[in-house]
Amino acid sequence: MNEFKYNSTRAKYARLGHLLNSPVIFALLWLLILVPPIFGILLLIQKNSLGWLFFIVTVFALMTLVIIKLLFLRVPLGKTDDITDILSSNVISIMNKDPTPKEFAPKLMETRSGRFLALRFGLVPRLLAGVASDLPDDMTPVFENARKIAKEINAPQISGGILAVAIIITHPNHEEILARMRLSVSDLKEGIIWYNYLHGLVKDSKKKRRDGGIARDFTFGFTPLLSRYGLNLSANRSLTMKTQLFRSEHKEAIAQMTEIFSNAGRQNVALIGPDGCGRSTVVNAFAEQLLDANSKIPNNLKYRQIIKLDAAALIGGTSGQGDIERLVSSLLNEAYSAKNIILYLNNAHLFFETSVGSVDISNMLTPVLEAGNLRMILSLDEQRFLEISSRKPNLTNALNKIMINPSNESETMKVMEDQIPGLEWKYHVTYTYWALKEAYRLGDRYIKDVEMPGRAIRVLEDAARYAKDGLVFGESVQEAIEKTQGIKLQAATSTEESRDRLLNLEQLIHERMIDQEPAVHAVSDALRRAAAGVRNENKPIGTYLFLGPTGVGKTELAKALSQVYFNGESEIIRIDMNEYVESSDVNRLIAEGATDAMSLTAQVQKHPFSVVLLDEIEKASPQVLTTLLQMLDEGILRDTKNHEVSFRDAIVICTSNAGADKIRERIDSGNYESLKNEITNFLIESREFKPEFLNRFDEICLFKPLSKDDLMRITDLLIKGVNKTLAPQKIEVALEDDAKMLLIDAGYDPMLGARPMKRVVSKTVENIVAKASLRSEIKSGDVLKITADQIKQELGNE
Amino acid sequence: MLAQGLISWWYVDGYKLFVNKLWTKLGDTIDLFSIGSLIKTLFAPYRQIAANETGTSIDDKLLAFVDRLVSRLVGSVARIGIILAGIVVILIQFLGSILSLVIWPLIPFSPILFIVLAVMGVTL
Repeated sequence: MNEFKYNSTRAKYARLGHLLNSPVIFALLWLLILVPPIFGILLLIQKNSLGWLFFIVTVFALMTLVIIKLLFLRVPLGKTDDITDILSSNVISIMNKDPTPKEFAPKLMETRSGRFLALRFGLVPRLLAGVASDLPDDMTPVFENARKIAKEINAPQISGGILAVAIIITHPNHEEILARMRLSVSDLKEGIIWYNYLHGLVKDSKKKRRDGGIARDFTFGFTPLLSRYGLNLSANRSLTMKTQLFRSEHKEAIAQMTEIFSNAGRQNVALIGPDGCGRSTVVNAFAEQLLDANSKIPNNLKYRQIIKLDAAALIGGTSGQGDIERLVSSLLNEAYSAKNIILYLNNAHLFFETSVGSVDISNMLTPVLEAGNLRMILSLDEQRFLEISSRKPNLTNALNKIMINPSNESETMKVMEDQIPGLEWKYHVTYTYWALKEAYRLGDRYIKDVEMPGRAIRVLEDAARYAKDGLVFGESVQEAIEKTQGIKLQAATSTEESRDRLLNLEQLIHERMIDQEPAVHAVSDALRRAAAGVRNENKPIGTYLFLGPTGVGKTELAKALSQVYFNGESEIIRIDMNEYVESSDVNRLIAEGATDAMSLTAQVQKHPFSVVLLDEIEKASPQVLTTLLQMLDEGILRDTKNHEVSFRDAIVICTSNAGADKIRERIDSGNYESLKNEITNFLIESREFKPEFLNRFDEICLFKPLSKDDLMRITDLLIKGVNKTLAPQKIEVALEDDAKMLLIDAGYDPMLGARPMKRVVSKTVENIVAKASLRSEIKSGDVLKITADQIKQELGNE
Repeated sequence: MLAQGLISWWYVDGYKLFVNKLWTKLGDTIDLFSIGSLIKTLFAPYRQIAANETGTSIDDKLLAFVDRLVSRLVGSVARIGIILAGIVVILIQFLGSILSLVIWPLIPFSPILFIVLAVMGVTL
């Protein structure tokens, strides 16, 4: 049963087809069909009966052409379950007498489905030959696996693609091999289904579509105005490719529309669903169905046409409300009189508002919709529908509502697979399967203004710009998301340099802040987990509460993080929570971006890949803290307009001085972990924070007061900063230890920590440099040594 | 063996395929002329738009009636014309298809016929 019969009739026909399928052969045959009869007729006219013999050549050429085209190039499947009878003709045409999987694997690239899998899934000949056995007997398990796959996916024959997958899964370590390519066996099976689907579409497109013929519209009226101001979806439909519906919900919507429009009652439908969920697809598919002579729809709907009205076109074509109303009245009359028109108001809210780009004709449309005589389809999103319902209940009560929900993952994948040929034609690229999966994953995570499948399609369109050698890979999708959403997805571990940076984060952070090891470790670990993709993606990268006295480096750590890991210090979103002490301040904190560009939600929406620093969190009102709970827990905060804002690519750091005295007292007296528990309990007992708030943080980090040693190192860091400023002038400063001690004594305040140090250093050291420079005591290339006396003198001047 | 298989295909599967193709093409032509719907709507108004009554006066009603009458007349003439043209085209295609179906089985034998004609010295 699994033995390939090389000498079977099917195999012979297929090989002949493979051999003769050449433009040269076809040209030669056409020449032999067309030329000999001319000579034959000429001879017969000259009374030479041998002219008949030329027709024999023509007959043989004609028969050969017919046999090649109708038999050899489409050898039908056999009638038994034998492998030779169920292999596709293009597979058997390339098979040797006793093939081994290893010999046969590269040949699969000669089949269309084999090339499809190579291009989109990376199943290239080298890989297949690498995993295939070189024993002829091992073709049996390959055929056996191919049979199983064909049965599973309901494929009528075993194609090159199925055999390629069968070769892979026959290998004992196939799961490991596929995992390295970010694939699974079910992905490959899905790939074959995808190929078969596209192959079917191409075959269907060659069939002529019957749509009523030349007399179809004779009984319906002319629609000159509608042709001018509207778009006829029925006339603009693709003549070859049909709109495919993969979602049962869409099919049900079309069935409901058919029922509503073919029965008595209000002849209108309102398709309600979020943008991107496929409302237009439903309307397009319905338009095609109405014009399909073979579709099973009632006669009173056959050959009706859908005309889309655009609010912008109406506004552009008129001057003033009165003019618009006259035009709309004429359009409605024309549609009604023509008897075959279904009006389609896409984004129907634009016809019921008076904002820019919209026109309020609800007073005219409501009676029409209530009377229900004119067929209309309205499409709008849920929120707009609710808004219109509250303002104009009469209008919305007159509508037959059909809800359209966003698609799930498998439906979205099908929609993308369907749309790929169009996108590839438009952008001149080829999408890999991994790109489709990434488009779903990342679209779902980062695109918020439209719903699935619109999200994924948009990501695919964006990714076309980042194709490499005409191929859109998963990386292209990631790059597109990074560029359009301002986040970091792939660079973190993609280069040696970035990997080193992640492994040495603590060291890099300590280049600009001193000590505070537990906190530095905690945030560094969080970033490494995020970069390696082992974090919980449904939460922020990390959420931390930094507790400790003022001026010990809490804010500095947030800044250092922003500089080292995010794209510089500008990627820090800092909110002083002492500005949110009233419960009413919640609205300001989560204000919509359009009304307050500086609200927390607006800033994170613009820069999702940031450090969010909420300073002095203890001063915020309890309502504000309650609002932040969901953000800490799920990485989501909803703004005042209920738009979801994601914090899932941010590190959230809250700082607080609460318990600072206790930390100062106890930090050196015991174990860090037990002190942390003690401080946490203290904060709960003293009602500074509620337990549910503290529990939401990944880690509570205690910042200890700075020691003299720490202050010495801080002084060095500050001097380093001064030298950085002076670098363009090629001047450097160096301080003696005594001078540094003077700065520490002057700059350190037990209550304010190291914060005054910065001011003291800038006033003293920078002043000394400025004066020396003006007196021409230093020039480029010099190192200015600053002594304790100079510092003393400068401090004395203050 | 191969020749035998090819001849057998020519008279069985090949012939069925040929019949299917002719039938599909004939169906396409019938759809193009949509004679069924033309007959059903033979006296329906033809593509008129202002035939709905706009007023209640006798004049308006009379105008609408005349308008519709003219429209029906124009429509019936156009439809009859297309029906006749359609019938002719479909008939020609049908006869051509029948002829093709008769010729198809004779094609493999036609070389013998041409040899006989050549030997008999038949010329034009």
